[in-house]
Amino acid sequence: MIDLSQQEQFDLDRLAEDLGTLPEAPLVMPVQTLESPITQSFLALFRSRLAPLTKTEQYKP
Amino acid sequence: MIPTYPPRSRVLVTRTVAVGTSIATAYGGFLLFLQFGTADGLDSFDILRSALICASTFWLAWGALTALAGLTTRPPAVPRQTEPITARTAILIPVYNEDPVTTFARIGAMEASLLATGFVHLFHFAILSDTRDDTIAARERMWFLRLIIETDGEGRIFYRRRDKNKGRKAGNIEDFIKRAGAAYDYAIILDADSLMEGETMVEMVRRMEAVPSLGLLQTLPTIIHARSRFGRTMQFACSFYSPIFARGLAMMQGNTGPFWGHNAIVRLQAFAESCGLPELSGKPPFGGHIMSHDYVEAALLARAGWTVRIDDDLGGSYEEAPENIIDHLKRDRRWCQGNLQHTRLLLAPKLKPWSRFIFLQGILAYIAPVFWLVFLTASIAAPLFAPPIDYFPIESWPFPVLPVSQVSKALGLAIGVVGLLFLPKILIVLDAALRGRVHGFGGTWQAVKSTLSELLFSSITAPIFMMFQTRSVIQVLRGTDGGWPAQTRGDSTLSFSEAWAASHWVMTTGMVVLVTTQWVAPALVLWLLPVALPMMLAPILIAWSSRPGSNRLFLTPTEINPAPVMVLQNAVITRWQMMAATQPEPLVDTRPTTPKSEPRLP
Repeated sequence: MIDLSQQEQFDLDRLAEDLGTLPEAPLVMPVQTLESPITQSFLALFRSRLAPLTKTEQYKP
Repeated sequence: MIPTYPPRSRVLVTRTVAVGTSIATAYGGFLLFLQFGTADGLDSFDILRSALICASTFWLAWGALTALAGLTTRPPAVPRQTEPITARTAILIPVYNEDPVTTFARIGAMEASLLATGFVHLFHFAILSDTRDDTIAARERMWFLRLIIETDGEGRIFYRRRDKNKGRKAGNIEDFIKRAGAAYDYAIILDADSLMEGETMVEMVRRMEAVPSLGLLQTLPTIIHARSRFGRTMQFACSFYSPIFARGLAMMQGNTGPFWGHNAIVRLQAFAESCGLPELSGKPPFGGHIMSHDYVEAALLARAGWTVRIDDDLGGSYEEAPENIIDHLKRDRRWCQGNLQHTRLLLAPKLKPWSRFIFLQGILAYIAPVFWLVFLTASIAAPLFAPPIDYFPIESWPFPVLPVSQVSKALGLAIGVVGLLFLPKILIVLDAALRGRVHGFGGTWQAVKSTLSELLFSSITAPIFMMFQTRSVIQVLRGTDGGWPAQTRGDSTLSFSEAWAASHWVMTTGMVVLVTTQWVAPALVLWLLPVALPMMLAPILIAWSSRPGSNRLFLTPTEINPAPVMVLQNAVITRWQMMAATQPEPLVDTRPTTPKSEPRLP
């Protein structure tokens, strides 16, 4: 045990990181399809906006 | 031989009866109100109000029938096994700005509880920190080391903190699976405030091993450690009513059960293959990360052919809950946004019909209060737009024809609505008295007193919840993202000024409603008092209910006889809190040999 006032001597973060490291054993987690094409096209209707004109296009004669 | 879930025929019968009866009740309510409303002639307000009554009655009837299903039927019992287990299980504890002393003390208690089972070597704990506050994160590292020292936990208890909390809790779990998932067969997913007996965790693994098609097994967590009046009411309701509702749900779900995000075990391979959540197109609240991810993960597992089951007989599963109405409503705001986001997923490809219905049910849970509020508003406004009464509807008939009063129909409907709300709880008391379950709640008289008090409290606070939930729905529909506020745990007594700041708008609305009703439709004032009065008292009720409650009311089995893991938790937490109080931070020895020489918990 050490005195709290002396904690700056020790790299506690490093120790916690070393002791806490998870096992390296990756598992693939593919992204699932959740939204139906019907829902997406319905929402697209709400989101559709006229393409904004650029400044040069705005001033075209 | 372990039965998996109720036979398909029984599930179908229970579902059909519950859905059919709910629809019939809703239709009855619709007709009754239409007759009442059209007594002075049909107008658009009558149709609107009748439709709202129809939807609201369906929701109430559905709740009542779930309880009735739980009282009258039950899934086949799962026999307890004693065989040794061999599978490796990770216990995941996502944390987010929590107090590390109390959170890690729970881990210490669960570790000690697992040690008693003899299978502790097969269980690893992974503390998955998404904490944003660097000071709290520093304390997490300190108390993690304390935990490692006291449990000899090196190589069995892990801690990692993410730089960014992408995907929030679901993303946190996903990150673990992608990094370390292949090292384990199962994962028990907990919340920071979850607590579970070691024997329960072992039993969950046994049940997973016994049924290879089981993808997720949900337990019914019981609320513990409530202190405030509000908290103790919720704790009692959860302990006394929830097992019955959960059983009813289990009878209707078949193999398409629920996932509540914690206190459940998942088969990691199945979960990884099926539950990678996409980010929805567009911005929050409807786009972005899926907030109520648990419902979606349950639906995805079922879509992939895995069984998702809730076993209501599994005891030893606990959680803590908000201690005051404001904290409860903060969490509720998040759930509201998450459930309404499910509107995007109702038509998701290849989902089981029951999963779609569960999404719909979750949405309706938050829309129903809006229906009630619109109904009340329409009822107040209706007299302004009602057509003048025609006292001479028959030509050439010289005498006036007075309209027949239909008030009895409205009264009948009101009694029916109150009945749907109260009857299930009253039946649950009767059932508990007959089966002897009341002993855990202080005996029959104590259980009756607690139930009546809970009925009174929930009736008084219902209008306040209605207002807050309606505001949440409006905020979500207007596109306001509620974010992911950290849950307040520990002492959460509210002063009157805090309660006032959070709810003065409810009080003002209540006063406006009552004054407007007196002016527009004085006959309705009496009918509206049960709604308007609690609204006007909202700040007082919120502050009062956050104060410590009496231990004589709302007794629960874990208060009378605390579970072994709770005793362990208390021992660890008392010691750690004293340690934290006497020293600003825990003492830590950095020498690698020291952990072995420290005493084990508790």
